[in-house]
Amino acid sequence: MSEVQRKKYSDKEKNSIFDHEFMPHIDSMYNFAYRLTFDEDDAKDLVQDTYLKAYRFINSFEQGTNAKAWLFRILKNSFINEYRKKSKQPSKVDYQEVETYYNSDNVDYSMTSDLRVDAVKDMLGDEISNALNSLAVDFRTVIILCDLEGFTYEEMAKILDIPIGTVRSRLHRARNLLKDKLRSYAENMGYDTDEE
Amino acid sequence: MDKNLNTSNKRKLNCSDESKCFELLESILDGEETTASKEILDEKLAKCQPCFEHYHLEKVIREVLKNKCTKHMVPAELADTIRQKIQEIK
Repeated sequence: MSEVQRKKYSDKEKNSIFDHEFMPHIDSMYNFAYRLTFDEDDAKDLVQDTYLKAYRFINSFEQGTNAKAWLFRILKNSFINEYRKKSKQPSKVDYQEVETYYNSDNVDYSMTSDLRVDAVKDMLGDEISNALNSLAVDFRTVIILCDLEGFTYEEMAKILDIPIGTVRSRLHRARNLLKDKLRSYAENMGYDTDEE
Repeated sequence: MDKNLNTSNKRKLNCSDESKCFELLESILDGEETTASKEILDEKLAKCQPCFEHYHLEKVIREVLKNKCTKHMVPAELADTIRQKIQEIK
């Protein structure tokens, strides 16, 4: 993850790292890109840009370290830059709002949900996906990284350039927002969401 | 764990430190809490109804996200396109 340590790989080493450490993550990278952009072509471009950058900056990658986290960090940064470029309204305002309003590390964990385990179990993949996709990008991202891709809090902190405490609180809030969505689906499915 | 569902009447109905307990339970589910022993977890779940419910809801949320979220197939030509572009910049 460190960009300070510079290596000098031979072409053969570069190809080997690229093929054996970078390319095996293309499925996860594409899924992440698709869930960020919701568009097949944008997702393809984002993954392609990420791999080209990864190759260009391969000397900043230390062989044997976490290539997946390194690639995800590049992808996420490319997305932010691209997203800001594309959108006419700069996303800065939204982002700041999120940073100041949602990112305080003091979270009240005691909020309980009346969503029922059985209702969640019965939900279809599409419903889960739609609920996830409906979350704001910062919340969606932490859930993807943690629950879909299995990154640790520490890896997520490095990928997102935020402190671990913020990872923890943002994740907690993201799952609460997801539960709200799932609860409304459950109500539509006719599940009784009230406490017994 | 589910067999405990029938013994919910033995659990206390209010958690004295919900915020702290829930944070701990979520850390355990995320694989971040390695110091809390299984005994502590088991005891919490056996004795406290809010903790029990929160743990199982959080657990199932993680399971459905991991197992049910639609996977998007990588377009077949993407890997080849990337390799080709790499050859061009070499």
